[in-house]
Amino acid sequence: MLPKVRKTALQWVCLIVMCSLIPAIASAQYHAKDTEWPSYAADTAGTRYRPLDQINASNFNDLEIAWRIKTDNFGDRPEYKLEGTPLMVNGVLYATAGSRRALIALDPETGELLWIHGEHEGKRGGAAPRQLSGRGLAYWSDGRDERIFYVTPGFRLICLDAKTGQRVPSFGEDGIVDLKLNDDQTISAWNNGEWVPDLETGEIGIQSAPVVAKDTVIVGAAFREGMTPRSMRNNKGYVRGFDVRTGKRLWIFHTIPKKGEFGYDTWLNNSAEFTGNTGVWTQISVDEQLGLAYLPVESPTSDFYGGHRPGNNLFGETLVCVDLKTGERKWHFQLVHHPLWDMDISSGPILADITVDGKAVKAVAQPSKQGFLYVFDRLTGKPIWPMPEKAVEVGNVPGEWYSPTQPMPSKPPAYSRNGVSIDDLIDFTPALREQAKAIASKYHLGPVFTPPTVSKLEGPLGTLTMGTASGGTNWPGGSYDPETHIAYLYACNSCIEPIGLVPAPKDVSDMNYVAGVAGREVQIMRGPGENAGADSPKPPKKRAASQYVRLDVDGLPLVKPPYGTITAINLDKGEIVWQIAHGETPDVVRNSDLLKGMNIPRTGQETYNVGTLVTKTLVIAGEAQVTTTADHPRGAMLRAYDKATGKEVGAVYMPAPQSGSPMTYMIHGKQYIVVATSGGPSSGEYIAYTLPSAGE
Amino acid sequence: MRKLLVLSSFALMASSFCLLRAQEASETRSVWDGVYTEEQAKRGEEVYRKECAACHGDMLTGGESAPPLTGGAFQANWNGLTLGDLFDRIRKTMPLSKPGRLTRQQDAEVLAFMLSINKFPAGKTELYRQSEMLKEIRFETKKPAKN
Repeated sequence: MLPKVRKTALQWVCLIVMCSLIPAIASAQYHAKDTEWPSYAADTAGTRYRPLDQINASNFNDLEIAWRIKTDNFGDRPEYKLEGTPLMVNGVLYATAGSRRALIALDPETGELLWIHGEHEGKRGGAAPRQLSGRGLAYWSDGRDERIFYVTPGFRLICLDAKTGQRVPSFGEDGIVDLKLNDDQTISAWNNGEWVPDLETGEIGIQSAPVVAKDTVIVGAAFREGMTPRSMRNNKGYVRGFDVRTGKRLWIFHTIPKKGEFGYDTWLNNSAEFTGNTGVWTQISVDEQLGLAYLPVESPTSDFYGGHRPGNNLFGETLVCVDLKTGERKWHFQLVHHPLWDMDISSGPILADITVDGKAVKAVAQPSKQGFLYVFDRLTGKPIWPMPEKAVEVGNVPGEWYSPTQPMPSKPPAYSRNGVSIDDLIDFTPALREQAKAIASKYHLGPVFTPPTVSKLEGPLGTLTMGTASGGTNWPGGSYDPETHIAYLYACNSCIEPIGLVPAPKDVSDMNYVAGVAGREVQIMRGPGENAGADSPKPPKKRAASQYVRLDVDGLPLVKPPYGTITAINLDKGEIVWQIAHGETPDVVRNSDLLKGMNIPRTGQETYNVGTLVTKTLVIAGEAQVTTTADHPRGAMLRAYDKATGKEVGAVYMPAPQSGSPMTYMIHGKQYIVVATSGGPSSGEYIAYTLPSAGE
Repeated sequence: MRKLLVLSSFALMASSFCLLRAQEASETRSVWDGVYTEEQAKRGEEVYRKECAACHGDMLTGGESAPPLTGGAFQANWNGLTLGDLFDRIRKTMPLSKPGRLTRQQDAEVLAFMLSINKFPAGKTELYRQSEMLKEIRFETKKPAKN
């Protein structure tokens, strides 16, 4: 029996004000398409680019808040992790918001709430692996009808009338397509040791925005964190395309091939039959003209141990190009063979028309956690620059299967750290370096693709990695300027991930190994809001707090700055144009007694939650950490850089850190920048900035 | 003349108020004043392991979906606020699957554990269980210099 969605759920659905909506009137110098933001990343090419320049270097510091909207009441509890990027199209701003993942429509000039829609999903929503407001939505119009698409936490694709916020009855079943059905698999869950069909708690969901291209809406799939799975078996993250008018499934792409399909033989010991995950949880990009969609596929079960899935494991951590209309695979390139580092492709591919050696090339550039920008011909999948297979370290975890080589892009150079060496450790003073070396000596170190180790009390506790689970570029992705052919990528340059494996207790998981640290009880890692009641961990064993190994040196980061960077990469040449530290030096460094009297240049900040926006002249990105400085009270800055040089040209105060990527639009001759903020003590809030009106 | 008297009275009241506030400020405590006990932190560790570690990590360093509860970024978030603010944040929103499921005592124990991991000193009295009282304890990242 399917859980019933309340038909008019959350129908404090307003709608009322819509008749007063005024179409956007762009100022004369801009094309209409340049003034709107109709897709999650501005367009389906993943550029986060609008050629607006009313807000520029000369006036960025004058920005003031035009409107703001807290998301506390869009759900039964406040949300402190607001990651959405709104859309602005045809004079209305749309966003996902709040712990209900409500869909809200706002007046883009005033922030006035026009309508709201939400779905009460009961236990199914509460058990969802990816909860909260998600990252956004998709918009479609044929010039007459306007529709909004989003996916609920409980994995339902919802189609709304953009004018009213009401579900479109002719789409799916009363405006809903149940994504747990018609998926070429029976969504299941563990129940008393049995893997049984269960649409309510069966693990699958998604937090990213669906993508609409032509008349197809594409949805991927996400799961809970994959470091300590309960089982080597899980649901699979297939990708599907649906008709925007009817909700009919048009195609499905099996990210783990079924028997007889291409790639099945890359899963030895029948492991394709039971291995799960391998979804596309980040943004999908589409070339509407070519009719091709680009799917960045994540890791298979589990993140750090692949002994139950010997083989290269296509299409895990693979960029797959499929036909937009049929889902048929056109080409693929596996970035990581037999994934062991949680390098799941974490951000949307960037579609770029570039010029290489005088020849025009339609390219796709894939940012990554491992700091490589993989660039391919997007028609053929052929690397633009050589990407040779190079030998990598083979580990010795019992039962593990290793790929002896991995593809390494020769150009552009890695734009963030993707390994750990002694030289990467903090070096403000020799004493700090020595302390850092003492900590690092408990771990196995090495360059990119250094494999995980079994955690041992006598050492190593694990492999110390960067550019893995939370390194490099994560879900916010990059930006791209189609005029200059330059990509802009934020990257975490200091997100250290110790990867140790421990034998999995049989009452915790049927895996041979899961992530953990020797001497400690295995802890199942969970996604946000996952139903903690059903399978609560066993009572803990007592141990002293002193057993915690801290990966910092007297509170200072273990590695040296820059902690976070923005890099500009020329895609015609495959060269880095500039790289800067992004973000104020953290308080813990700036105020450290150990560093008194030292002149430390801005260090940037460690985070994996920063996205960038590119305009005619600027690269804009906020800080994801709070600081308190002589120049501003506790808060964070939204910073603007000259996109040609990386030189900072302005900064505006935000009361809370940026937690979603900024977007921009222009309406009635005024440019706005909207950014999602949240974190720590600050619940979610969208803040819109604009310039003062003339005379103010 | 009357105007002058009124103004003087206001000035006197204002300065008395400021003095009072200043005294209060100097009398309020901070996380450096031993505001929890080791025993309370140990109990908090058990609660943390069962209720919090699945998302925030065994070492409080956070996960893909939950922020760290130790380190520079965490401390910067709360610097200048009070333990009451942090306690309310936990109480109203955690555990995410069912906020408010833990008792005030358990929340205070978890908070004590977080303070211990963040290297704030333990003392002889347990951490309060009421946010109004915890609002009198300042979260200060940096240890105040002794007078």
